[in-house]
Amino acid sequence: MNQHRYLRAYMAGIVAPTLFLLVVLAVFCIARFGLKVPAPIEQVIVFPMAIMPNVFGLWNILYVKLQPHWHTPIGLHGALLPFILAPFGFFTASSLGLVKITNGGVLYFNALYVPYGLLVFVPLIGIALYYLVWKYIVGSLNALVGLK
Amino acid sequence: MNEPDQNEISTLLREALPPMNTELRRDLWPTMLRRLEQPSARTAPWYDWALAGSVAVVLCLFPQLFLLLAYHL
Repeated sequence: MNQHRYLRAYMAGIVAPTLFLLVVLAVFCIARFGLKVPAPIEQVIVFPMAIMPNVFGLWNILYVKLQPHWHTPIGLHGALLPFILAPFGFFTASSLGLVKITNGGVLYFNALYVPYGLLVFVPLIGIALYYLVWKYIVGSLNALVGLK
Repeated sequence: MNEPDQNEISTLLREALPPMNTELRRDLWPTMLRRLEQPSARTAPWYDWALAGSVAVVLCLFPQLFLLLAYHL
């Protein structure tokens, strides 16, 4: 059972974002093409869809690789991921002109205005969600494929 | 190798190796039953429930954050 540890880690890592992104894509498609929400999300949606499962898989490989030397709980390891992904996503969208910074808040996709007071919650929620997903979903899948 | 040689080797091997104890030292089935009847030890601690609840409350209060999270995460 010690063979192909990193392949198993990658496969266990990609399950959660792959399933989640299908739901997100369905919601985006309904919002954009069904409800005619004036937000050009299709310009950027392919990018996170291609990146996210791979990032999760590679992050889980890193977790498995670091385990003998650095005994981090998997929830904490997963909670570190938004610190990389969120700024990356923000700068990508702002460089494409899809995010505009205004005096009172941030305008996403020319449709979704988020005041700065509300924007404070986004990283906190993101970190909490990643902690829970990694602890309970990725951790369980790691145990299932014999990585614990 | 002829028959007497084989017999001799077989005798030597039997003498050299200790006899194997094939009997179980104890009955394993009651332990197995106890293990099967145990409730799952993996229950979420209270702070994880609190965290999940807080996230749910914030998302219910500000549903526009759904789109933002879906993009950023």
